[in-house]
Amino acid sequence: MLEIKALRSGYARGADVLKGIDLKVSAGERLAIMGRNGMGKTLLAKTLIGLIKPSAGEIRLEGKPIGGLPAHRISNLGVAYVPQGREIFGDFTILENLRMGVIGKPGLGMERLDQIYDWFPILRERHAQRAGTLSGGQMQQLAIARALIGRPKLLLLDEPSEGIQPNIVHEIAEKLAAISATEGLTVIVIEQNFEMVEILAERVAFLENGLITGESPTARLIAEPELITQNMGL
Amino acid sequence: MTLRLLPTLAVWAVLAVLPMLLGPWELAMFGQLLIYGIAAMSLAFIWGQGGLVSFGQALFFGAGAYAMSLTSKGMLPGIPDSPWLGLLLAVVAGAVFGGLIGAALFFGKGLRTAYFGIITIAAAVIAERVTTNWRYIGGFNGLLDVPPLPLPGGLDSADPFAGYLLVLGFALLAFLFLLAVERSPYGTVLRGIRCDERRIMSLGFFVPLWKVLALAISGGVAGLAGGLFATQFSFVSPAVIGLALSTEILIWAAVGGKAVLLAAFVGAIIVKYMESYLSETIGNYWLLVTGIAFIAVVVLFPQGLLGRFFALPQPRRLRRD
Repeated sequence: MLEIKALRSGYARGADVLKGIDLKVSAGERLAIMGRNGMGKTLLAKTLIGLIKPSAGEIRLEGKPIGGLPAHRISNLGVAYVPQGREIFGDFTILENLRMGVIGKPGLGMERLDQIYDWFPILRERHAQRAGTLSGGQMQQLAIARALIGRPKLLLLDEPSEGIQPNIVHEIAEKLAAISATEGLTVIVIEQNFEMVEILAERVAFLENGLITGESPTARLIAEPELITQNMGL
Repeated sequence: MTLRLLPTLAVWAVLAVLPMLLGPWELAMFGQLLIYGIAAMSLAFIWGQGGLVSFGQALFFGAGAYAMSLTSKGMLPGIPDSPWLGLLLAVVAGAVFGGLIGAALFFGKGLRTAYFGIITIAAAVIAERVTTNWRYIGGFNGLLDVPPLPLPGGLDSADPFAGYLLVLGFALLAFLFLLAVERSPYGTVLRGIRCDERRIMSLGFFVPLWKVLALAISGGVAGLAGGLFATQFSFVSPAVIGLALSTEILIWAAVGGKAVLLAAFVGAIIVKYMESYLSETIGNYWLLVTGIAFIAVVVLFPQGLLGRFFALPQPRRLRRD
């Protein structure tokens, strides 16, 4: 589904933070990428979705090279992004925010709205409410719903548990795992919080100093939690 | 019907009954104010919705005015000297200028925020210089005797009553058109671009194209205002394409309210009317008073004086499933 080879990228020319990422994600798989602050997790997400151009290496989506393509083209190839901090449109209503997930996608309409409302009933209840008035957890659900309404093949989430109370983190993780299983959706979640990872992800890759330094099935990390601290260099 | 529609309906109703209340001179003057109102709406559309502050809006207004004048005076080889065709070409000229400037600025690296404003200032100054020095289009003196628009029943737009109603009709048309665009999915995207371009890009939007389209729409409406100006004032000069008028349009939209079309429209009428009144009562000090009033409004009411008053309720499709 997604293949990354020797990927290098940085915020400034000649100053690569990612120093040769190699990673493979199968179709329908749920992968977590964990790492401490400043290790390049968000940079990796932004490079994958085209907001930052890689300086070297390859990114292939279903065999097609997408590295260096502009963000709108990668999005239209089926990669949806839920950024850190949600980044919903606070002045828009919930329904307008959801519309933004399909307007830019040729041939897509709001046909999936009922399904989205079934997954996230709070959005149905408050569809005419300004999104900026929602709680953090509700905003996160909206950001995920906005990504899902465009029928992506790959969903990329950057720190979705940030600033959200634990019971809501569990609820969102369980919901995403169920959606991924029923829809065959590939999910990559970038996280520091293992509470979300243990429910959502099947496999974890550790990012340290711009490189993937280790991988493990999530079940093994649950059984041997010390591996998490070892791999994250804590 | 919601109460929030009432101020909007009241404005159009008052404008519709003005011909019964005003004499020919006042009516002709009011018709000209409506033209400035259309120009203010064209700027409010890109500024309020797309966050694009154009300091050179007169460039599109002037392009329309010159296209109208050159066409209706038969100065464009191979094009019939029809004033109505001239008005159509005024819209086209404004839209093409808007689109071309937008394409030059937004494709490639893409200019944002202050840089966009600076380039539009430069473009307006260049356009004023070019028209001043281009003899074929009248140079410094401009073009005189631009014919009025012929109307049914042997009338034309030089008739104060008919001319006023014609301009009012186009003002209403421009308002409804821009309002429809604002409330369409395209308008939602434009507001999204104003909030955060990068966020919009990652949702699958090729932002430069949407911005170019916005500038072309705005330019087309400003071009319409310019075309109506040329035919109602019977002349066009480099002053209509330069920095001074661009600044005035900016002031009208800022004072009225940049985010609400009708607020900008009424803002233009009020500011222009006050200018006329003040210049008669306090002479040359009118400019000082206008400047101070503008600064006060921008500082105290960043959303303009009339924005809240004329803000319309959300479209029904956004209030239900």
